[in-house]
Amino acid sequence: MSAEKLDALFGNPRDADNPVGYAAILAADERHEMLAEGERLLDAYGMNAEFVPAAYGGRLVRADRLAEVQRELWRRDPCLGLGYGFSSLLGSVNIWSAGTDEQRTKAAEILLGGGRIAAAFHELDHGNDFAHAECAAVPNGDGWLLTGRKEIVTNLRRAEAMVLFARTSEDAGSRSHSQFFVTRGELPADRVLDLPRFPSSGMNGVQLGGLRFSDCPIPGTAMLGRPGQGIENALRAYQLSRVVIPAVLVGPLDTALRLALECVHERRLYGGFAADLPYVRSALARAYADLLAVDAFSGVALRALHLAPEATLLYAPAVKYLTSRIVLDAFEDLRAVMGAQGYLRQGSYAMFQKLVRDAAPATFAHISRSACLVLILPQLPRLARKSWLADPAAAEQLFDLGADLPPLDFDQLAVGMLSGDGLIGVLAETAEREPAGSPVGRFAGRFRDEVVALRDRCAALAPSDLTIGASPEAYAAADRYTVLLAAAAALAVWRSDGSQPEAALLGILDRLSGRLGGASVLTPDERASAEQALFDLAVERFQDRRLFDLSARHVSG
Amino acid sequence: MTDQEMSVRVSAEDIEQWLMERVSYYLETPIEEIDPDVSLAEHGLESVYAFALCGDIEDKLGVTVEPTLVWDVDTVAALTVHLAGLMAELPSV
Repeated sequence: MSAEKLDALFGNPRDADNPVGYAAILAADERHEMLAEGERLLDAYGMNAEFVPAAYGGRLVRADRLAEVQRELWRRDPCLGLGYGFSSLLGSVNIWSAGTDEQRTKAAEILLGGGRIAAAFHELDHGNDFAHAECAAVPNGDGWLLTGRKEIVTNLRRAEAMVLFARTSEDAGSRSHSQFFVTRGELPADRVLDLPRFPSSGMNGVQLGGLRFSDCPIPGTAMLGRPGQGIENALRAYQLSRVVIPAVLVGPLDTALRLALECVHERRLYGGFAADLPYVRSALARAYADLLAVDAFSGVALRALHLAPEATLLYAPAVKYLTSRIVLDAFEDLRAVMGAQGYLRQGSYAMFQKLVRDAAPATFAHISRSACLVLILPQLPRLARKSWLADPAAAEQLFDLGADLPPLDFDQLAVGMLSGDGLIGVLAETAEREPAGSPVGRFAGRFRDEVVALRDRCAALAPSDLTIGASPEAYAAADRYTVLLAAAAALAVWRSDGSQPEAALLGILDRLSGRLGGASVLTPDERASAEQALFDLAVERFQDRRLFDLSARHVSG
Repeated sequence: MTDQEMSVRVSAEDIEQWLMERVSYYLETPIEEIDPDVSLAEHGLESVYAFALCGDIEDKLGVTVEPTLVWDVDTVAALTVHLAGLMAELPSV
């Protein structure tokens, strides 16, 4: 099983008669239903096995492979991606990370039998502020009694099992919450009430459910890990999902870019094809550069889960924070090109508006952008003082996308303080190696200068700037740091893979440095030339039916 | 006291005084208002400061601690006892 097989199974999405093509996906979306035929195919493919570690009978060995398969699904229908795919991953990572052998075996049986495991963490009143989650369990004999609500939880109504996050102590601090892995069958029906689906502006087919618990008994054996380990476990296990979700969002962006390219080559405006307009070509080239930036940054973070798992406590929120913005910005640029065609719910390009709506939660779903920065901020003073411009880049294999990896080991995912990030070193190394006048050399110099400026600001951050109450300036510093990490990742990936075109790297770095502001690094001619090359490459990929991402994998449409 | 002196010979009083200074720094509260027997969470020390404090401990005392140490051993008094114990186990220089 692989992304290629999934692609073959789903066939050409543009084929009007394809029961899992865009026409069928849109019809299901209009009915606010999951695409039943799609779910049937995913059952046949055995998608749930992708979320189960090989040691428990599944196919989860490599995070990059998991992301590749999910990306294939998400590029077709994000509702299937979330409602069939991502939801059970989110539930189960906590079990692989903190569960006993017995609990893991039980979770594997549920998933491999086609069941779902929901992640019941979220409460509307508390958002990402999990330390103040109210849903609470009190000791009751050998077990617990749970009271409270969980809201906007994917698949909660139809999940066979769930991982519940609940307060288990009234004390302040980070040892007052625990996780429980329970099947729906273990909960007495008269103590649990399904809440109506929460209406939303996208992900129409996905069951966004809720539950109200009233003195609901939970078996003592359901606890994952020790009492009070709930926050720590989520901080560790969710590093995987927070890297995978940005990587899979390349899928919907790929389809949006594909639709936009088709549109501009079909549409005649002002006496020529829309594709002939420089503005249109430039906008598409930039969206393509954005897609590649997300792929390179998330690709490095996926490898880090195996090769530098101690560092993913930083990479995961950095990738989630920055790439969710990049993806939505790229969608916005494509929307400007598509005009009304990107707004209509009918016609050849109706898929575009659905993807826009389905991608919109990227900035807040699973973890919000500000919550990501709160995970990054406390690391900054120490990294600035100890590591930046002093430490070398991580070993080359971190950046060799697709190369061999040791199996994923959840026990290696950590919380705590980093003493180096393994990425910023790339900037100084590149600045030294590349000719100072070359475009890449100038970009590296620009980013290195930014590290110098940021180092002083971050080393001097006050304690009050390390938490959610930090000043806007501190948040801005963390934001700029994520841009530098992404630039370093792209430079290192290109250094590692000589076959990637330089124009694409220049496009990526141009867009990233644009996020930092300041004077343009590229001259107008250099930019025009890079964007023309990127546009031509995108057209070539489109015509060859290849993915736009770094894999350039051949697809059915 | 320099870092070197700290790692060569350090008393429980030194550790407690240094911890009080760090906690006071993170909480932005005068040392006199910190009760070594009250949990740091109750003093308002957020989880990220607990990680940062563990980083400080490693940098300053030269001992390796679990990053969640301050979640579990969560008063200055208890931390002092714990760290003094760890320091006593270090090979003498």
